[in-house]
Amino acid sequence: MIWQDFNYALRLLSKKTGFTVLTTLVMATGIGISVFMFSFFNTVLFKALPFEDGETLVVISGSLQGKKSSSSINLHDYLSIRDNVQGLSEFGAYRNESVIVSTRDGARRYPAILAEANIFKLTRTEPILGRSFTQAENQKGAESVVVIGYDLWQNHFAGDKGVIKQRLKVNGTSHQIIGVMPQGYLFPNIAKMWLPLHEDANQLIRGDSGRIRGLAHLDKGISLADINNQLSLVMQKLAVKYPQTNSNISAYVTSIPGAGAREGLAVVYSMQAVALFILILASINVGNLLLSRAIERNKETAIRVALGAPRLRLISQMLWESTIICTVGALIGLLVMAWGLEITEGIVATFFSDPPAFWWKFGLDNYTLKLFFAIVIGTILVTGLLPAWKSSGGDFNAVLRDGTRGALGKKSGRLSKLLVISEIFISMTVLIATAVMVYASFMQSNKDIGAETENVLVANVLVTAYDSAEKKIQFVNTLQSRLENSAGISEVMISSALPGLFSLEANIAIEGQEYSNITNASYPSANYISIMPGSLAKLGVELRKGRYFDHSDDGLGKASVLVSESFALRHFPQQSAIDKRLRVIQKGSDKVQWLRIVGVVEHTIQGSRESESVPSIYRPYSQAPRAQITVAMKMAANPVLATKTLRKVLQSIDADLPSYQIETYEQSNNRITAPIRFISSLMALFALAALVLAASGIYGVMANTISQRTQEIGIKRALGADDEYITKEYLMTGIKLLLWGGVPGLLAGSFMGFAMSKTFGTGNAALVVIAVTMVVLIGSVVLFATYLPTKRALKLEPSQALHYQ
Amino acid sequence: MNNVIIKLENIKKVFYTDEVETHALSDINLTINKGEYISISGPSGCGKSTLLSLLGLLDTNTSGLYKLSNHDVSDISKKERARIRNREIGFIFQSFNLISDLDVSENVELPLTYRNDLTKAQRQQMVQESLEKVNMAHRSNHYPAQLSGGQQQRIAIARAIVGKPSIILADEPTGNLDSKNAEAVMQLLDMLHSEGATICMVTHDPRSAERAQRNIDILDGQIIADNLQNHYVNNDIAV
Ligand SMILES: Nc1ncnc2c1ncn2[C@@H]1O[C@H](COP(=O)(O)OP(=O)(O)O)[C@@H](O)[C@H]1O
Ligand SMILES: [Mg+2]
Repeated sequence: MIWQDFNYALRLLSKKTGFTVLTTLVMATGIGISVFMFSFFNTVLFKALPFEDGETLVVISGSLQGKKSSSSINLHDYLSIRDNVQGLSEFGAYRNESVIVSTRDGARRYPAILAEANIFKLTRTEPILGRSFTQAENQKGAESVVVIGYDLWQNHFAGDKGVIKQRLKVNGTSHQIIGVMPQGYLFPNIAKMWLPLHEDANQLIRGDSGRIRGLAHLDKGISLADINNQLSLVMQKLAVKYPQTNSNISAYVTSIPGAGAREGLAVVYSMQAVALFILILASINVGNLLLSRAIERNKETAIRVALGAPRLRLISQMLWESTIICTVGALIGLLVMAWGLEITEGIVATFFSDPPAFWWKFGLDNYTLKLFFAIVIGTILVTGLLPAWKSSGGDFNAVLRDGTRGALGKKSGRLSKLLVISEIFISMTVLIATAVMVYASFMQSNKDIGAETENVLVANVLVTAYDSAEKKIQFVNTLQSRLENSAGISEVMISSALPGLFSLEANIAIEGQEYSNITNASYPSANYISIMPGSLAKLGVELRKGRYFDHSDDGLGKASVLVSESFALRHFPQQSAIDKRLRVIQKGSDKVQWLRIVGVVEHTIQGSRESESVPSIYRPYSQAPRAQITVAMKMAANPVLATKTLRKVLQSIDADLPSYQIETYEQSNNRITAPIRFISSLMALFALAALVLAASGIYGVMANTISQRTQEIGIKRALGADDEYITKEYLMTGIKLLLWGGVPGLLAGSFMGFAMSKTFGTGNAALVVIAVTMVVLIGSVVLFATYLPTKRALKLEPSQALHYQ
Repeated sequence: MNNVIIKLENIKKVFYTDEVETHALSDINLTINKGEYISISGPSGCGKSTLLSLLGLLDTNTSGLYKLSNHDVSDISKKERARIRNREIGFIFQSFNLISDLDVSENVELPLTYRNDLTKAQRQQMVQESLEKVNMAHRSNHYPAQLSGGQQQRIAIARAIVGKPSIILADEPTGNLDSKNAEAVMQLLDMLHSEGATICMVTHDPRSAERAQRNIDILDGQIIADNLQNHYVNNDIAV
C-alpha cells in the first residue's frame, strides 16, 4: 500500500515536470544554504576540538573594562583563578610567540607555544617520538628543550627518527629536541613547536608577570556561565586587593573555538537567523505550491473520501509528494553545499597570514549530517503535513454538492494570506540585515587608510636576535640603505606598523593632565608606532603641522614624537599640539620619559577598520627600536624581482634573519577586510536567494489566489465593476498584506541591522536609508505580484471569466 | 420606434481556440422592445449563452451592429461597458454565482457599491427593498453556503434587480432547481415583467418558455423561429 502511494505520488510529480523541478530547486536552495551556514559556524566557533575530552577544554582570557578581548591574563591572576575557581580541573598555561629557527636552509619564523609541562596531557595527545617536557624543565634556568611538530620534523629532518638526539637553534639558542608531535597536531591553534614556559610566579612581581592564557577542563555538569560568575568574583577581589594592577580588568572563559567570536557573536547569530529564515521561506514556498496543488485536486480528493478512503491514507499520499520533493531537493542542496564548504576552506585560508586554526575542517562532518537529516525530516513534515491536513479535512459534502471550492477555498484563502505575510516579514528582515552587512563591508574595504598602497611590496622581519637597541638600529639602518641602493626598488619605508595594518596600542599620559586613578584603564590609548625618518612622507601620510622626523631625532636618549591629527584634535582641541609633551605608560617601569611633539600628521587607520578612529603616535625607530618591523618597498619592477632583491639583501646582512609574509601592500590591507567581505558576499548571496524565493513565493501565492478568484472577478464585472475598480480592490489586499508582514519585518530587520551596525560602526543614517530602500523594494514586489495576476484575470472577457474553473 | 431597446443587425460571434474557429453565432438579427418578455431556446451548444453574453456586454461580437437604447455599443470603452452593465442590466445565472465570502446583504449590495451616486443609507434601503421583493429579507446575514439552491437563486435575483435595471438577462435560471423552487423563480420573473422590466431568458424547459411573450428558437448559431405566444397575440390585438 505504501508502495502504491509512493508510485502514485511519483506519477503525479512526473506529470507536472515544471512544478516538480521548481519545488525541488527551491528546497535545494533552502536546505543547502541553511545547512551550509550552520555547518560553517559550527566548524569555526562551536565544534569540539578533535581530542578526547575536547568538548570540555576551555580557555581563560582577559577582559578590559568589561569588553572581552583576545588578550591574555597575567600569571599571578591565573594562579589565583586556579586556586579559587570550583568546577575546573587540570589547569595549564601557555603563551603564543613567534620564534626564529635557524637551519641549514636559512632562518625561518615559526609560530610557537611556550607552555607549562601538562600542555599535551590537557589535549590527551602523546608525542609520536620521544617525550613531552617535565615540570623540572619548566623551571627558570633549566636546560632548553623543544618538542617539534610533525611538519617541522618532515621538512627539516626528513622524518628522521634520530631527531631526538639532535639540537635546534631557536631564537639564537640551541635547544635539545625531546619529542615530535603527531601529524595535524597544532594545538592550541597553529603551533609548530612547543617550548617550556620557563616562568615562575614566585620570581616575578605582580604587574610585571608574564602574560599567559589559561587552559582547563570543565568538570561534568558545570556550565560556562557558572565559571564566568566565579571568575568575575575572583577578579573583583583581586582588583580590590591590587588596584594598581588589577582595576578594570577581569577574565572570562570560553570554549577554545568560541574564543574567536567574542563580541562578534551578534553577527553570527544574525547570520544563522538569516539562514533559518531562508529555510522557512523555502518551506513556505514548497508548502504553498503543494497546498495549491491539493486544492486543484480537491474534487478528486472529495470523490476518494466519498468512496471511503480513510483520511490517513490521503495524508500519506500527499506526504509522499513532499517526501520526494524534499529528499531530492535536499540531496542536490547537500552536493552544492559540500562543494561550497570545500571552496570555503580555501577562501578562509586567505584571511590569515598564518594558516587558520587547525580544527577548521569544513565539510560534511557528523554535526552537518545530523543537522541535514533533521532539516530534511522537518521540511517534509512542514511542507507535506500542512497541505495534507488542510485539504483532507475540508467539507467534502459541499465540494461534491455544488462543485465549488466551498469552505475549503475560504480557509485556504486565510492560509495563503498568512503565507504571504510570513514571506514579506522574512524577506524584509533578511534583506535589511544583509544590506547593513554588505554596506559595512563596502565601507570598510573602501576606507581611506591615509596612505598610498599602489605598487608597494611589504615584508615582515623579526630582529629579536639582536638583543640590544643599538644592534637593532644598526641593522635597520643598514637594511634601509642597502635596499635603497638595490635595483628595482625606488623607495624604502620601515615601520613597526604600516598605515592600514595592525599596530601595538599603548596607554598615553599627557603632561599637565590629571588622571582619575593610576590604573592603566584610565589613560587614553593610541597606536604606538616606531618608524624610520622619511617613511611617513614616502607613504603619503601628509604633514599637517610642525615637521616630520629627520636625522636630528636620531639617538636613543632623544625624546621626540609625532602625533596624528586625530590625536591632536582629541587631546589638544583648543591649541596647537606642537611642543606639548606626553609619555607612554610602560608596564612595570617607573621610568618617566616625556616626549615632545614635533609634528602633527594625517590620521591613519591601523588594523581593524572598526577601530578606525583610534589615533596614533609615532617615534623614530632610532629612539624606540622594535623587534618586529615591516619593510615596505616602492617597486620599480615586478614583485618577484623585488622579493628576490629583499631576500638577497637580508642574507647579505645576516643569514639568520627571516623575512616572512612577503606580499603587496594592497594584499596586506585586503586581508584585514577579507573576513567581512567574505561574510558579506555570503550574506549577499543569501539575500539574493531570499529575495528570489520571497518574490517567487509571494507571486506564486498571489497568482494562485487571484486565479482562484477569476470567476469571482467575472461575477463582479458582470455586476458592473470596471477594471480600475477591480485592480484597486486587489492592490488594496496586497497593500494590507504588505503592512501586516512589512511592519514587523521592518522592526525585526532594523533590530538585526542595528546590532550589526553597532558591531561594524556603520551608523544609523545608513540603516534608515537601507530600511526605506528595502520597504520600497519589497513593496514593489508585492504590488507587482498582485497587479500582474489581476491584469491577467482582467484580460479575459467577463463571459469567459464567469466560466473559468 | 422609440420603443426599441435592443437592436442586433447581422451579429456574428466567432471563438478562436487552438486554431479552431467556432462560429457560435452567425447573422443574428433581432429587435427587442421595451417591456418584452422573451425566451430563448435551443439545443445545448447552439449559442444561447453566447447571445445572452453579447446582449449583456459580457463579450463583444466579432462583427455586426449592436444598438442598445439607440446607441451603438459595439466599440465603446471597457469602462462605459461596465457602467452600462451596472445600470441597465441585471444578470441571473444558472449557478447563482453568489460570492461565498460575502453575506446575503453584501452580495445584493455589490452592484450598488460600484456606483458613487448613493449614500450608505440609500444603498441599505435599496438592498432591503430588493430582499423583501424576493422574500429573503429575514436571511440578510446568512452566507450563501447556508442557503438552499432556491434561496440562493432568489438572492441572485435580488442582486440583479437592486439597481433597477431596465433589462434582465437570465441564463437558465431554473436549471439547477427542483420544480417547486423553479416555480417560485418563474413567478418572480413574471412579477418583474409586470413591473415593466425587459426580460431575456434562456431556457430549455418548454413550460418556462410558455410564460414568455415571445419565443426565440436558435439552432447552430442562427435564429430559426421567432414567435409570439398565442394569448399575447390575442391580447395585443385586443389592445
Ligand atoms: N469562450 C469560448 N471559447 C470557445 N468556444 C466557446 C466559448 N464560449 C462558447 N463557445 C462555443 O460556442 C458554442 C456556443 O456556446 P454556448 O453559447 O455556451 O451554447 P449554449 O447554447 O449551450 O448556451 C459552443 O460550441 C461552445 O463550445
Ligand atoms: Mg448555455
